[in-house]
Amino acid sequence: MPAPLLEVADLSVRFDTDDGPVHAVDRMSFTLGQGEVLGIVGESGCGKSVTCMSLVRLLPETATVSGRVVFDGRDLLALPPRQLRRVRGREISYVFQEPMTSLNPVFTVGHQVGEVLRRHLGLSRSAARARAIELLRLVRIPAADRRLDEYPHQLSGGMRQRVMIAIALACDPKVLVADEPTTALDVTIQAGILDLMRDIRERLGTAIILITHNLGVVADVADRVLVMYAGRKAEEAPVAELFAHPQHPYTIGLLGAIPRPYEGEGTRARLQEIPGRVPSLHELPQACAFADRCPRADERTRSEIPPLREVRPHHLVACFHPGEDGA
Amino acid sequence: MSDAPALEVVELVKHFRVGGRLTGGKSVVHAVDGVSFTLRRGEMLGLVGESGSGKTTVANCVLRLVEPTSGTIRLNGVDITHLSRRQMRPLRRDLHMVFQDPYSSLNPRMTCGDIVGEPLRLHGLARGRATAAPVDAIFDAVGLRRELRFRYPHELSGGQRQRVGLARSLIVNPSVLVADEPVSALDVSVQASILNLLRDLQRDMGFSCLFITHDLATVEFLCDRVAVMYLGQVVETATRAELFREPQHPYTQALLSAAVVPDPSVQRARSRIVLEGDLPSPLEPPPGCRFHTRCPLHEQSAPLSDEQDPPLREFTPGHLVACHLVDRGRPAPRLVEKTADLVRNV
Amino acid sequence: MSALAEPNGAPIVDPRARRRRLLRRRFLRRPMAVGGLVVVLVFVVMAIFAPWLAPFDPSATDFNATLAHGSARHLLGTDEFGRDQLSRLIWGARASMQVGFLSTLLGMGIAVPLGMVAGYYRGWIDTVIARVTDVLLSFPFLILAVGLAAILGASLLNATLALGISAVPAFIRIARGETLALREEDYIPAAVVNGANDATIIFKHILPNMTNTLLVQATVTIPGAIVGEAVLSFLGLGVQPPKPSWGTMLQDAQQYLAQAPRMAVYPGLAIVFAALAFNVLGDGLRDILDPRTTR
Repeated sequence: MPAPLLEVADLSVRFDTDDGPVHAVDRMSFTLGQGEVLGIVGESGCGKSVTCMSLVRLLPETATVSGRVVFDGRDLLALPPRQLRRVRGREISYVFQEPMTSLNPVFTVGHQVGEVLRRHLGLSRSAARARAIELLRLVRIPAADRRLDEYPHQLSGGMRQRVMIAIALACDPKVLVADEPTTALDVTIQAGILDLMRDIRERLGTAIILITHNLGVVADVADRVLVMYAGRKAEEAPVAELFAHPQHPYTIGLLGAIPRPYEGEGTRARLQEIPGRVPSLHELPQACAFADRCPRADERTRSEIPPLREVRPHHLVACFHPGEDGA
Repeated sequence: MSDAPALEVVELVKHFRVGGRLTGGKSVVHAVDGVSFTLRRGEMLGLVGESGSGKTTVANCVLRLVEPTSGTIRLNGVDITHLSRRQMRPLRRDLHMVFQDPYSSLNPRMTCGDIVGEPLRLHGLARGRATAAPVDAIFDAVGLRRELRFRYPHELSGGQRQRVGLARSLIVNPSVLVADEPVSALDVSVQASILNLLRDLQRDMGFSCLFITHDLATVEFLCDRVAVMYLGQVVETATRAELFREPQHPYTQALLSAAVVPDPSVQRARSRIVLEGDLPSPLEPPPGCRFHTRCPLHEQSAPLSDEQDPPLREFTPGHLVACHLVDRGRPAPRLVEKTADLVRNV
Repeated sequence: MSALAEPNGAPIVDPRARRRRLLRRRFLRRPMAVGGLVVVLVFVVMAIFAPWLAPFDPSATDFNATLAHGSARHLLGTDEFGRDQLSRLIWGARASMQVGFLSTLLGMGIAVPLGMVAGYYRGWIDTVIARVTDVLLSFPFLILAVGLAAILGASLLNATLALGISAVPAFIRIARGETLALREEDYIPAAVVNGANDATIIFKHILPNMTNTLLVQATVTIPGAIVGEAVLSFLGLGVQPPKPSWGTMLQDAQQYLAQAPRMAVYPGLAIVFAALAFNVLGDGLRDILDPRTTR
């Protein structure tokens, strides 16, 4: 089994706020293999974005990050800033949710793509321009040479996101981290972007970490899925396995909450609801974070943190009562 | 109560002028260009479209938050298209709205109880202490603890806030509720509870609902009939079952194929229709059929579709389609091999 | 009927108490703002309790002790008529605080409704109000105030009026800007759909949500009015002698600058400290009331 490209061990992130410390991420560990697409799924506040921003230390000063992020044999969390800057954008690059705010409105598309090429790869202006056209073609932007001279506001949302992906791919990174890349886009545009991501993985062999709250997106593109809840990992499995045999009651709840097409007669069943709210991240409960909302909760889940165990081949769950039958 | 449908929209047009007169701005945004549909009593009609489709403008026109450029809107048989604010006010008891953003739809300076009780005061139905009982009742109905009446919106979660929004709009028992993307800003698990709630309330209280969204799965769960919009026009209207089983308009087919299904074995086996090109600007909608610039069937419909706007025609009773390639008894060409590809029973 | 009960949420804490605690904590973390508040309070107390705090009658002359230096009897010395400087300073605070607060209130009372109407209705009324405001804003505040005071005639009341009216354009701009922003919030169309009329929307929905911004602007307008009062009195357009005011004290001090510079220094310092304290307090308030503040 080849060595993983990225290995995250015991990653924890704590924010210092007005109301006290917030434990956004609690001892997360996962790996990413070469050319693999890892989907990280969870609802708002689960810590998925914080986890991925912390990989290359993109979090603000109020965040305390601990643990290890081993990439290419080096711990990114311990790397001196100059070396870290060479990793960011070059070996590990990012695509975010809102392309309009990620692109500078006063510079042309060509300038922004070119800037990355000139800065990181030291290309000359003309070489950068040629490569920029190549990149725009790679992300399937039609009339790439004309697009280079356009400004971000002249492009549609889907196009802008493709430009963001082009910039992210400029230096041929080993890992592309995409944080909700299609959430702000229309459904028909989203389809195109997801196709593009698959294409990138196949043609360039880039590994992708895809963060989303949308289980359908994950079903479309991911190889493996990681479900997060309240800063901890709840479940991890290959994609087909997770959807066919979900084990953690939270995952089961999420899957049950999505409306599915129904062709029978008579009243259809209600969507599955998960009662309660996400627990406050101020105090780390020494118990299963999902206990308050879980139909399978008992004394043990309220007093111990369930460890991650392999309950089926390659399928890890952090639960004392894993199993497929719902409530 | 008359037999008139709850809401009747006929050839609704709304254009916005952009650019000040001084700068010579004569650009017109064709937000809504000839939309017609009927919302029957007790029914939930889904209005589906992506950005630029005009669905929110339709909602704003129906609620008379803006005045339509032309066309007719009838609420319970009464023509409200050009009524003044004052004339509208008594009619507002029968028409209310739930908004998309649970954060901005509640006044942060008012307690939840005050927010929910305001319609009672404004319509002269109760004031002061007399509002307590109906507010308590509606809180129960939407599943909120009564004590939350005294809390401020920022202390509630997104889902709770949306329930407050629902409570506010239903407390005077309107006959028509317009819901503009009421769950899009919520987490998946919270969406489920609000969707269940909406379905239950509609069944129990009997209001008619215009449900506006971009999410087909939600429409499929909640709605009785569906109207699909593209660039300011309705391109297809049908019952839910019909639309999902036999979608005709190529845009509807593309939309259905683009929706992701949370099941990898199904999702990856599906063939997908990818639309080329960008959404045209509503400042300059394409001549003829507005969809022709991106239509996978353009070769077959040209040159007619380049010049003529197809009318909304009956394909089968109750199923209307605006496409040159579709006529009574003549279905549209299939864009994917099997209809079952578009939506699979999971 | 759905029998969904809202499950256990956070423990019930009075929202207002919690917010007050948060604001107090933030405030205490800002020593400058705390200092500003303390100084403001000192002046306000001075103004309110002047009759009891002042050791002498500010108009009482003593020709045996003119231009005296600071001593145990006259802590800050006396002026050319033998009047106790400290007492005059304390009574002067009363004039300054009165004018400062009242003129600001007057300005707000006129400007806020105008700004809200302009921002809410837009159209021609907005054009008229906004353009007139723009023209008035092109005049420096003091020039406007002096001009108005000259027209109205010299008195404390007229100074208050002049300063109040001069503060109107800035407040209109703030109120109009806030209204323009607030009317985009969804609870405004929600109120329309509720059947609310315009007055209800403006006064119940828009106004309460701009109080923070108005408060901050007020704390910055008051020092302007204090300085303005001093200027007007100095020019003879405000408080008339022998009534004490920091401005008239400065006017008196002009002739004796070489002999007794302290006659100018004390009122000058009082003006500076009062204005600075309000400004610093205003800065701090703006900071702590901003929802995006993390500290």
